[in-house]
Order: sequence, then structure tokens, then C-alpha cells
Amino acid sequence: RRELPDGGARPNAAQFKQLVVTALRDLHGEVGAALPVDVLTYEEKTLSAILRVISSGLVKLWSALTLLGFYQNRRCAFRVLQTSPFLLALSGNSRELVL
Amino acid sequence: RYVLCEVVSEDPRCRQCIEDRTLGLAVRDAIARVHGDYGLACCSVSFTVKYLNAYTGTVLLRCRKDSYRLLCSALPFVRYLESRAQRYPCFLNTLHVGGTVRTCQKFLIQYNRTQLLRLLQTCTNEEERQCIQKSLLSCSLTEEQSQSGDEEEDDGTE
Repeated sequence: RRELPDGGARPNAAQFKQLVVTALRDLHGEVGAALPVDVLTYEEKTLSAILRVISSGLVKLWSALTLLGFYQNRRCAFRVLQTSPFLLALSGNSRELVL
Repeated sequence: RYVLCEVVSEDPRCRQCIEDRTLGLAVRDAIARVHGDYGLACCSVSFTVKYLNAYTGTVLLRCRKDSYRLLCSALPFVRYLESRAQRYPCFLNTLHVGGTVRTCQKFLIQYNRTQLLRLLQTCTNEEERQCIQKSLLSCSLTEEQSQSGDEEEDDGTE
């Protein structure tokens, strides 16, 4: 799950995917841009999304998102909230679990 | 790691303008396109063009052991050499990957020998046959003098 704090612009789902692919292309070239990344869900209100990628590509994706600094000439940052191999695990954060 | 490759081009003027700097820039550019900033930085740590033979188009590149796969995968993407504001279409053929310059040199000697024999078989002109036969016979048999095996000529057969 990724959270993207931003100044003003609100990308929609397609623009978000374009942003991710551009980040990969900048850091890892055509090979990185060809990495199959899926945007499973995207909420425009909170600007958060769930991305799926093959496990060998996690390092490339994470590094590319970390180093992406600008979106439409505004500063932005990607924050990775959770990563897990199972989709079900993303629905709850076990650190905030209140017993 | 040392990667031995051969520059193949249809344009005969391309051979004359091959320089180590232009080739290095072209290869670096291809790596940047294919592997991005990370790949470019990874491969450029100790990347040099060690040896260049403009007559035969043989190039020996040197790179780190950890990143030679990135380099090899980016070599097919070198489409043209640019020098003095002129672009010459060409492509690189990878001949051999070795760990030391000596192994690459040994391979190059063998390769040049087989190339000379192949040229002898395919050449149509009688005087070219004489030329090639003379250079074949003048090759020395010891492996130390590898440069005499490089006496290929580009006068129209290639």
C-alpha cells in the first residue's frame, strides 16, 4: 500500500500508473519500465493505492518510488505503508492492533 | 570482466571514424537507455575501452564483474556511432567474454585465423587470393606475436 502526499494536483488512476512507470524508467531504464506492475486499487481522495509486482521486482519498484521527487513540477513523496505477499494482510495493520 | 566485440557496419566510412571515446559514449548511452540511472552508474564505475582496432572493428571493453551482464544486455541496443555530427548505423557483435586480457587475446588470435581462412574461401579475385595467402603464410606460429594475425585487409571483400 502506498500513500502519496501532494500539493495540489490529484492524479487519477491512469496518471498514477503512468507516474509509477515513469519512475521505473528513470531509475531502471527500459528494463524497469517493462516490469509488470498492477495497480489493484486506487483512492483519489486519500491518494493511496495498492500495487502488485513480482517479488523479484520489489527492490526495483521500491527504489524507483523512493527516488521520485516531482509530479507536475510539484514536490511529492511516496510513502510505503505496508508490503506483504498476501493481499489479505494489507487490510489490517497488526502494529495498530488493539487487544 | 573483458568483453570482446566487433563493430559491423555497411557504411565503409564508419570504420575510419571509430574512436575509443565515441564508442564509449555510444555504449554508455545505450546502457542509460536500457537500464536507467542505476544501470549507468553501476556499469560506469570502471568502464573503459581497452583496445580498439579500427581496421577490423574489434573492440575490447572492460567492466566490473558484477555488472557485466547489464553491459552485455545493452550492447545490442547500440544502433549507431556518432562522431563529428555524423551518424553511422552499425551494430556490435559480441565475440567473447573473458576474465583477463590474455584469454581475450588468445581468442582473438584464433578468431582472426578462422576469419582469414574464411576470407580465402569467399574471395573471388585472383590477386586478393594471393594477398590473403601471403598474409596467411606470414603469420607467425608462436602465440606471443598476436598482432601479425591481425593483418586482415578491408579492400572490398568485407
